Amino acid sequence: MTYSSGISGDSNANGGTSATRVTADTDTHQDFQPTSKGSDMSLQDIVAQDIKENPVIIFMKGYPEAPRCGFSALAVKVLQQYGVSITARDILSNMKLKESVKAHSNWPTFPQIFINGEFVGGSDIILSMHQKGELKDLLGDSAQKGEQDSAQ
Amino acid sequence: MMGSRGTSVVLSRAARMRQKLQSALEASALDIEDVSYQHAGHAAVKDNANETHFNIKVISPKFEGQNLVKRHRMVYDLLTDELNSGLHAISIVAKTPTESGS
Repeated sequence: MTYSSGISGDSNANGGTSATRVTADTDTHQDFQPTSKGSDMSLQDIVAQDIKENPVIIFMKGYPEAPRCGFSALAVKVLQQYGVSITARDILSNMKLKESVKAHSNWPTFPQIFINGEFVGGSDIILSMHQKGELKDLLGDSAQKGEQDSAQ
Repeated sequence: MMGSRGTSVVLSRAARMRQKLQSALEASALDIEDVSYQHAGHAAVKDNANETHFNIKVISPKFEGQNLVKRHRMVYDLLTDELNSGLHAISIVAKTPTESGS
């Protein structure tokens, strides 16, 4: 509800669950993409399953290639330091998805990052964990590199 | 437009935030910086909105033993009314007196 006034005229709004997937290699998993908009699962269930099935998932404004908020852009940039596959969902294009994610995490702002099914936080926390070296531990074996850009 | 009414408002959002955070967190340091101008024209910000984006740096003994998610939740919880009334995003640095002293 915080942003409701500006969303209705959003040129990206399409009412569907827009999704994009960024991978560090070519071994993508298309079957993980949520295509079941018309299924009998509630959006709340879809969000929970999405988080469970994707080791690194970010709910953000825009897409990794075209973030629509500086905080989302920053979080993507940090995660990309580690060469891990990142699943991204654009919450600006789907108001219901946005509210479902907020309800799921009980966190008021975006981006929201979940790693291995656990809520990690927003851009401040992901940046702080990156700078302290904690993000590398959390990402574990998936992290091929890291700590490259601890400045800032 | 941006900044034109900042000084004339009886109690700005920044001032309300300061009051809420200061009293509840017993902050030993509290910096609140309005960075709304950086986000003017943002996808979700109305043209006439101001006081939408803030950087908050707070040092509080109440953060002791709390991880970052819990610290941020404490701040968000205190600012629920603001988040529901046009506050768009806040960047939070939340430290304990011990951590800030190093």
